[in-house]
Amino acid sequence: MPGASATPTALCVDDLRKAYPRRGREPLLAVDGVGFAAEPGQVVGLLGPNGAGKTTTIKMVCGLVRPDAGTIEVCGVDARRRPRDATRRLAAVLEGNRNLYWRLTARENLLYFMGNRGRSPRAVAPAADALLERFDLADKRDALVADLSRGMQQKLAIAVAVLAGTQVLLLDEPTLGLDVQTGDEVRRLVRELAADGRTVLLSSHDMAVVQDVCERVVVIAHGRLVADERVETLMRLFATRAYDARLGAPLTPAQAADLRRAFPLVSVSDDGLHVRVDLERGDDVYRFIDVLRRERTPMESLDRVAVRFEEVFRHLVNGDGPARGAWPADAAGAVREEVSRVG
Amino acid sequence: MWANVLRANVGKVLIEMRRYLPNTVSLVITFYVIFLAMFLGITVVGDPEAADTNVRFLLVGNAVWFLLLVGINSIGWEITTEATRGTLEQLHMSPVSPRWILLARLVGHIGAHLVIVVLMLTASMATVGTWLAVDLPLIVAVLLPMLLGVTGLAFAVAGLAIVYKQIQAMLQVSQFVFLGMAFVPLSVAPWLELAPIVKGVDMLRASLVHGVGFADLGAADWLSLVANGAAYFALGLLAYGAAERRAIARGLLGRY
Ligand SMILES: Nc1ncnc2c1ncn2[C@@H]1O[C@H](COP(=O)(O)OP(=O)(O)OP(=O)(O)O)[C@@H](O)[C@H]1O
Ligand SMILES: [Mg+2]
Repeated sequence: MPGASATPTALCVDDLRKAYPRRGREPLLAVDGVGFAAEPGQVVGLLGPNGAGKTTTIKMVCGLVRPDAGTIEVCGVDARRRPRDATRRLAAVLEGNRNLYWRLTARENLLYFMGNRGRSPRAVAPAADALLERFDLADKRDALVADLSRGMQQKLAIAVAVLAGTQVLLLDEPTLGLDVQTGDEVRRLVRELAADGRTVLLSSHDMAVVQDVCERVVVIAHGRLVADERVETLMRLFATRAYDARLGAPLTPAQAADLRRAFPLVSVSDDGLHVRVDLERGDDVYRFIDVLRRERTPMESLDRVAVRFEEVFRHLVNGDGPARGAWPADAAGAVREEVSRVG
Repeated sequence: MWANVLRANVGKVLIEMRRYLPNTVSLVITFYVIFLAMFLGITVVGDPEAADTNVRFLLVGNAVWFLLLVGINSIGWEITTEATRGTLEQLHMSPVSPRWILLARLVGHIGAHLVIVVLMLTASMATVGTWLAVDLPLIVAVLLPMLLGVTGLAFAVAGLAIVYKQIQAMLQVSQFVFLGMAFVPLSVAPWLELAPIVKGVDMLRASLVHGVGFADLGAADWLSLVANGAAYFALGLLAYGAAERRAIARGLLGRY
C-alpha cells in the first residue's frame, strides 16, 4: 500500500475474552472474542445495548480488568505484557462516576493527576489553564469539584484525560446526562481531538452523537462483535433500499394486493395514498415504478427513506438485516457480505 | 518523575487535611479527651505510688494509638471512597504503579499526623504537668522501622478495602486491636514481639517512660525491631499486590 508507514496502529484489540467469576454459578461471559483497531485521527464508536460488554472492553484496554484471552496493543505496545508502558499512552474517562477528587478544586485535580504521570505542576500549569479556558471552566478553576454541576464535572474529567496528552483516549459514555449545549461542546472537542491526530474510542447510547462524531463504529451485543464498519457505509447499506412513494390517487385494494405480491415488504397507508417499500436490491426500484405504472397510478413523489442511525443500530443488534427477514446467525459476517456488495 | 509523584500526593494529603480541618481537629480533641478521661481514671482509682509511671505510660500509648488509627485506618476509608468516586481506577491508569502512589500518600499522611501527634502530646503533657524525657535520636531510630511496619499494615488494609468494599465494620473493630497494640506491654505478652509494631512501641515506652537509653538496648532489640518493621512492610506490600491482582481479575476496582 503506498504511503503505508511503519507507525503502529494506535489501538489494536484482538479476540478479547472475559468471563467474570461468579460465586456458586458458572462465570458470566461478558466479552467473547471482540477485536477491532483504531488509527490516529479516528473516532471509533463502541456501541451495544446495556450489558453488551462495552465498559468491560474499555476497562480491559485500560488494564483495569484482566482479560482471560486476547491481545491488546496500544501504539504497538503489548498492554498485557507491559501494562505500565501501555497506560503511558492512553487516558480514559470511565462511566458513571466522575473520576475526580471532590475535595480538590478543578485546577488541583488537573495538576494532581499530571503529578501522578510524573509531571511537575509548573510544567503543566499553562496547559491546564488553557484547557480550563477551552472547556469553559476558567471561572471554576478554583471551585471545589463537589460544587460543580454534573456536566462541569464530566467536562473536567475529560479535561484531565486530554491533558495527559496521550495518543489514545477512551471515553465511556461521555455525553451521558449532559445538557444539549454541553453535549455539543463535548462533541466538538472530540472532533478537535481527532483533527489533532489523536485516537478516540467512545461508547455511547446516543446515536446522534455517534453519527455526528464517529468515523467508524464497533457494535457488540452479548459480548460478541456484531459489526465493525464505517458509519457512512452502514448508513448507505441500510438506507439504499427503503422508498416512500406518494400517490396522486389512492390505490384500490386490488392494486394494493398486486403490489404485495410483487414486493413482500410493502406497506400501504389506510388512505391508500402512501406506499412504503423495502426493496431487496437497489435496482428493484425500477421494478417498483413499473408496477405502479402498470396500475396507472399517478405518482407525486418517490423518496428514499432517510434512515436514522438509530434504526441501523437496532437492526444490527437484533441481528436482522436491512429491510429483510432474520439474518443468519453470523450477523457480523452478513454485514461484511452486504458491505462488499454495496460498496 | 518520582519526585513529582511524591510532591503531588503529599500536596494532595495536605490540601485535603486543610479542607477537612474540622475533621482533623475533632479527631485530635477526641483523643485529647480520651487521654484526660484515662488520666482521671488512673489518678482517682490507681495506686498513687505508680501514678507518675502510669501517666507516662498513658501519654505514650495514647499517642501511638492515634498514630496507628490515622495512619492505617484512614487509608482504608480513603480507598473505599476512591472506589466509589472512580478515582481508584484513575490511579491504576497512571504510568507509576499505584502502590508507589499509595506509598507517597502514606508518607504524607503519616508525616503530617506525626506532627499532630507531637502537638497533641505536648498539650497533654502540659495539661497534666508530667513531661516525658525525650531522647530524640533514640526515638527517631525506633520510629523509622516501626513506621515501616505501620506502612505495611496500611497497605494490607488498602488491599482489603479494594477487594472487600464493605470494610467499615472491620475498621471499627480494628480500633481496638490498635488500642491493644499501643498499650499492651511485651512483658505481659512476650509473644506479641512477633506482632506488628508492638516491639517498637515497647522500645518507645522503655525510653519515654523508663528512661532507657541507647546503651541499655541490645542488638537483639534492634534486630527484632528492624526485622519486624521490614517483614510487615514486605508482607503488607505482598498482600496489597495480591489484592490488586484479584481486583483486576474480577473487575472490582470501580465497583461499589
Ligand atoms: N465486576 C464485574 N463482576 C461481575 N460481572 C460484571 C462486572 N462488571 C460487569 N459485569 C457484567 O458483565 C456484563 C457486561 O457489562 P458491561 O458493564 O461491560 O456492559 P456495558 O456494555 O458497558 O453496559 P451499559 O450500556 O449498561 O454500560 C454485564 O452482564 C455485567 O453485569
Ligand atoms: Mg457501560
